[in-house]
Amino acid sequence: MNETFAVLGLFDSADALMEAVPKVRALNLGRLEAYTPYPVHGLDRALDQRRSPLAGMVMIMGILGALTALLFQYWISAVDYPIVTGGKAPSSWQAFVPIMFEVMVLFATFTAGLGMLLLLNRLPYFGHPVLQAKAIRGITRDRFALSVEAEETFDPAAARAALEAAGARDIELLPAPARGPWLTADFIQKSLAGIAVACLVSGLVMFAAVKLVPILPPMSHMSDQPRLDPQAESAFFKDGRGMRPPVAGTVARGFMPPGVASEDEAARLVNPLPRTPAVLAHGQAEYRIRCAVCHGALGNGISTLGAAYGAKPANLQAPNFLAYSDGRIYGAIVLGKNAMPSYAADLPEDARWAVVHYVRALQRAQNAKDEDLK
Amino acid sequence: MNPEPTPFPVELPEVLRAPAMTVGKVTPGSLDDQVLRFPAQGPPLKWYVAIACTSAVATLGMALIGYTFYMGIGAWGNTSPVFWAFDIINFVFWVGIGHAGTLISAILFLLRKRWRNAIARFAEAMTIFAVMCAGIFPLIHVGRPWVAFWLLPYPNQRGLWTNFRSPLLWDVFAVSTYFSVSLMFWYLGLIPDLASLRDRTDSRIRKPIYAILSLGWRGAANHWRHFDKAYILLAGLATGLVLSVHSVVSFDFATSIVPGWHMTIFPPYFVVGAVFAGFAMVLVVLIVVRETMDLKNLITDFHLEVMCKVILGMSCLMGYAYVVEGFTAWYSMNAFLHHTFMNYITGTYGWAGWLTITCNVLLPQLLWFRKCRRSYPWMFLVATAVTVGMWFERFVIIVISLHQDYLPSAWRIYKPTLTDYGILLGSFGIFFTLVLLFARVLPVIATSEMKADLPGAQPRHGAHHE
Amino acid sequence: MSADRTAKLLWSATALGGATAGASYFVTGGPRFWANWVVWFLFLLTLALGALFLVALEHLVSARWSVPLRRIPERLASLLIPLCAVALIGLGSLQALFPGARPEAAGDPALAGKAFWLGVPFFSARVALCAALGLVPLFVLLRGSLRQDRNPDPKFTIRARRFAPVCMAIFALLVTQAAFDWIGGLTPAWYSDVIGVYLFAGAFMAGLAATALAVLYLKGKDRLQAVRFDHVFNIGAFLFAFTVFWAYIAFAQYMLMWYGNLPDEVIWFQAHTGGAWLGVVALLALLHFFVPFFALVPRDVKGDPKRLRWVALVVLAAHWVDLYWLVFPALGAPVFSWPELGFALFFTCGSLLWVRGAMERGEDMPVGDPFLKEGLEFRL
Repeated sequence: MNETFAVLGLFDSADALMEAVPKVRALNLGRLEAYTPYPVHGLDRALDQRRSPLAGMVMIMGILGALTALLFQYWISAVDYPIVTGGKAPSSWQAFVPIMFEVMVLFATFTAGLGMLLLLNRLPYFGHPVLQAKAIRGITRDRFALSVEAEETFDPAAARAALEAAGARDIELLPAPARGPWLTADFIQKSLAGIAVACLVSGLVMFAAVKLVPILPPMSHMSDQPRLDPQAESAFFKDGRGMRPPVAGTVARGFMPPGVASEDEAARLVNPLPRTPAVLAHGQAEYRIRCAVCHGALGNGISTLGAAYGAKPANLQAPNFLAYSDGRIYGAIVLGKNAMPSYAADLPEDARWAVVHYVRALQRAQNAKDEDLK
Repeated sequence: MNPEPTPFPVELPEVLRAPAMTVGKVTPGSLDDQVLRFPAQGPPLKWYVAIACTSAVATLGMALIGYTFYMGIGAWGNTSPVFWAFDIINFVFWVGIGHAGTLISAILFLLRKRWRNAIARFAEAMTIFAVMCAGIFPLIHVGRPWVAFWLLPYPNQRGLWTNFRSPLLWDVFAVSTYFSVSLMFWYLGLIPDLASLRDRTDSRIRKPIYAILSLGWRGAANHWRHFDKAYILLAGLATGLVLSVHSVVSFDFATSIVPGWHMTIFPPYFVVGAVFAGFAMVLVVLIVVRETMDLKNLITDFHLEVMCKVILGMSCLMGYAYVVEGFTAWYSMNAFLHHTFMNYITGTYGWAGWLTITCNVLLPQLLWFRKCRRSYPWMFLVATAVTVGMWFERFVIIVISLHQDYLPSAWRIYKPTLTDYGILLGSFGIFFTLVLLFARVLPVIATSEMKADLPGAQPRHGAHHE
Repeated sequence: MSADRTAKLLWSATALGGATAGASYFVTGGPRFWANWVVWFLFLLTLALGALFLVALEHLVSARWSVPLRRIPERLASLLIPLCAVALIGLGSLQALFPGARPEAAGDPALAGKAFWLGVPFFSARVALCAALGLVPLFVLLRGSLRQDRNPDPKFTIRARRFAPVCMAIFALLVTQAAFDWIGGLTPAWYSDVIGVYLFAGAFMAGLAATALAVLYLKGKDRLQAVRFDHVFNIGAFLFAFTVFWAYIAFAQYMLMWYGNLPDEVIWFQAHTGGAWLGVVALLALLHFFVPFFALVPRDVKGDPKRLRWVALVVLAAHWVDLYWLVFPALGAPVFSWPELGFALFFTCGSLLWVRGAMERGEDMPVGDPFLKEGLEFRL
C-alpha cells in the first residue's frame, strides 16, 4: 500500500540544520537528504556527498570543442575547397583560433548546464514526493528540511523521533508515489501521434518556405529587375523601341571602310596577308559563301545564278582578269563593279584579302602550267 | 614571528565606512515577499504607460526594418566609401551594452563581491536583450536578409563553405555563442527562483508554467552541489567570453588596414568601452527599478556608489586608450594615420570626436565627487553622456575613418537617412520593451542568490578549508 | 642554513655574477652586455611595478582579503629604489641597441619626424622622470603603511585610498613608457599601441608570482601563520586569470599584425619569429601559457603551497623568457651562454639581497590597518 518514502523534518535556520545532521546521521536510520532554499556551506560534506565531477566533464568537453572547431575549420578551409583569400594561406591557424575559443566555450557551457541538469541532477523530474508535500512551500522560501529516506528496513516512527530530538519544528511523512508502468499503450499512441503531427507541421512549413519564399517580394526582386530586356518597349525613346540601332557612321569591328574611292586607287593596294594555307582556307570558305553563287565554284562565271537569272557574272579566268592586280580585285569586292554590289559590309578586311588570295589560287589552278605540278 | 593585530577602535571614520549592502532587516521570507510579489500581481499604470511608449517606438523601428527589406539598403545612408555606418555602429553598441551584465553576474561572482547579488539578475537579462538587439543589425544590413543562413557552414548544393579567415564569420560564432551562454547562465540562475514562484502561487495557469520552467527543482542538497559547480564553471566561461566576444567584434575593424582601424589596442579597448557603456545603461535601469519597484532596501546607495566608481574607473581607462592611440598615431609617422586622427578632431565630423572625448572622459570625472555619486540627476547626466559618448565613439571610428581613407578620389561625406535614425531609435524601443516585460514576468532580483549571502544565512561553524 | 650564511652566499654569488657580467662587456661585446642589462632591468621593473599594482589595487577597490598579505608586495615594490640606478646606468645602452638614438636616425626618412623623441636627450629625460615618479608611490603608500604599524591611525588608510588613483595613473605611465621606449625603441620604425598593456599583463603576473613565492616562503618559515588557504587561493586564482589575459593580449597583437600584413608592422614579427627564434616563441607559449594554465586549473592547486610555488617559479622564468624574446632579437639570432648566466646570477642574487633586507622592515602584516581583522577572517 502507501509506503512511506521519507520522513521530513523542517528547521528554521541553516545553523539548526547543520547541528541536526550529524545527530541524525549517527543513528543510521536511512538515506539522508536535505532540502534548502539556497546552498548551505558545508552541507554536502556533512551529508558525505562526494565532489561534483562536473569540472572534469566540462574540461574534457571544452578541449573536445576546441579540437572539433580546429579540425572542422581546417578541413573546410584547406582540404575540401581551398581558396586563397586576402593573400592568406588556406590553412591559416591564426584565423582559426577565435572560433576555436568560442566553440570551446560553447561545448563547455552546454556540458555544464545540460550535464548538470540532465545527467547529474536528473532534472526535469516532476514526480518527486517532496514536490507534493506541504513542506515544499517553506523549503523554497526560508525553511530547511532534513529528510530520512526509506531503505530496506525503515522505521518511520524512529525517524520521526530522531528528527524531533535533533530540533525539527515540523515533521511530515512523505508517501511513496504510486508506481504504475509508464510505457502504456495510451502513452505510446500519444507520443506517436505527437511525433507525426510535428513532422507534418514542420514538413508543411519547410515546403511553404522553400517554394513560396523565393517568389514573394522582396525575394523576387532579383528576377524582376528594372532593366531593359531584348525586344521590350521603352517609353524613354520617342519611337518606343527599347533596342536602338547604332548611330549613323558606326563601324563594326573588323569592317573598316575600304579607304579607296575608285578602282584605280584600289589597284595600287598591296595584299597585306601572307599566302598561307590558313589564309587560303579562309578565303576558300568565304568565296564559297559569297562569291561562288555568281562567279561559280571555279571562278569561271558558270553558276547557278547566272543560269537561272540570265545574268552574266564575270569569268575570273578570262585573260583580262588574270592580268588584274590584287588591289584591283580588292577594289571590285569593296566598291562593287557593274551589277555586282559592294561586299564591304559582308566581308571583314582580312576576309576580303583572303578571298583575293583564293581567287588568285583559282586562276592559277585553272591555268596551270607544267612547272606548277613540281 | 606572528604579529598580533593591534586592538583597534571599533568606530571607523565615516569616510572608511561603506554604506550597507542591505538596509533594514532582510530575511529570506521578507525577500521573497518583496521581490516575488511582482510576477503575481498586476502591474501599476505607469508600467502600462511605459510599455506603450517603448513598444510604439519598437514598432516604428520594425516597420522601418520592413521598409528596408523592401527597398534595399538604399533606404539607408550607406554608400561609397562609408559602407558601414549606423548598422555596424548600432551592432557594436548593443553588443557592448550586453557586456556589463555578464561582468556583473559572472566576473563579480568569481571575485565574490556580494553586492552583485541584488543586481545580477536584471543585469543578465539586459545582456540577453542587448545581444538580441545587436543581432538584428548584421541580419538586416545585408542585401538579401532572407539568405542570411548562408553565413552558417552547412553542406550545400553550391559546394561552397563560409570563409573562416573572415572576422565577420568569427563574429557570427562569437555573438551566437555569447547569446547561448548568457541565456543558459541566466536560465540556470532562474531555476530556483522559478521554483519559489511555483510554490507561492496557486493560480491554475501560472503554477504549471512555473512548474515546467523550474524543471521540478526541489532544493536538494545533492542538486545544489552540482548546481553550484555548474554556476561557478559557467561564471568562469562567461568571463572568458566577455573578453573574447568584444575582442572578436573589434577584430572586424582591427584586422583591416583602414587607417584608424588597424590598432592593436582595439581588443582590450573595445572590451573596456563595452563594460563602460553597459554599466551606464545598468545604472539607469537600476535607478528606475529601485524607485518604481520600491527596492531601495535591497538596491542601496552602496550599489549606486560602486557602480559609479566602476564607471569612473572605466572612463579613466578609456582616457588612457585615447592618449595611447593618439600618441601611437603620431609615433607611426604614417601620413594616412595622421590624416585620419586629425579628422577625428577637425573637419566635417570633428564635432563627433570632441563629443566623444567630452562624454566619455570629461563628464564622468564628475563622479570623483561624492555628491554626484549620491544624486540622481548627476548620475543620469553622466550615464546618458556615457551612452551617447560610446555610441558616438563607434561613429567616430567607423564613419570618420571610412569617409576619407587612402584614395582621395573616393572621399565623400556620409549622411544618415531618417530610416537610419528610426531603426536606431526602434532598437532602444525593443530593448526597453523587453526589459519591461521581464520586470513584469520574472523576479528582478535573484532571491535564492541573495538569501545565501544575508547575515546569518550560512552556518557559523563548518565550511572550514584545510 | 642560518641567515648570515645565506647572506654571505648571496653576496658572493652577486659578486661573481657581477664580475662575469662585467667581463662579458669586454669579451662578447657591448651590445650583448646592454641587451642583458635591459632585459634584467625590465624584469625587475615589471616585477616591482606588478607588486606595486597589487598594493594600489587593494587600496583602490578597498579589498579586504589581501590586507594580511599587503606587506609582501609593498616590500617587493621597494625594488624600485635600486632600480632607479639600474635605469640610469641602462641609458648607456642607447647608442648600442637603439637605432633611433644614434645620430644617423635624423637622416632616415622613416625616423626623421620623431628623431627628437627617440634621441638620447629626450629618452634619458623620460627615463629619469619615470624613475622619479616611481618613487612617489613608495613614499606615500609604503612609508604610510610602515608608519601605520607603529601608529594605527586610520588617516593613513584614508590617504592611501585617496592616493590610489594617482598611483594607478603613475603605474600606467611607467609601464607604457617602459614598453614604448625600452621595447618599442629597439625597432623604432615599428609601432603597436598595445605593448603597454602587454607589458602590464606580464608585470602583473610577475608581481603575483613573486608575491606568492614570498608569501609561501614566509609561511614555510612559520611567519604569516594567520594567512590561510583562502588567501593563497586568491593569489593563485588571479595568477590563473592573468595567464589567460596575457595569452589573449599576446595572441591579439600577433594575429592582428599577421592579418594586416603591413610592412611597418610585420618587420618586428619577422625578426622575432625568424630562424631559431621560433623555438623561443614555442618555449614562451609553453611556459607562459600552457603550463601555468593547465597546472592551475584544478581548484586545489591554486592554494596548495607546494604546487603553487612551482607554478610561480615557472611564471617568473616565463616572464624572463618573454623579455628576452622582446629584447634580444636586436642582436640577431638567439644567444644564451655564460654572459646571460652571469647576469642572471648578479641580478637574481642582488635583488634577493635587497628583498631579504626589505623583509625585515616593519611587521609581516600591516598590523595597524583597520581592516586587518576582516581580512584574516576572509573565507572563500
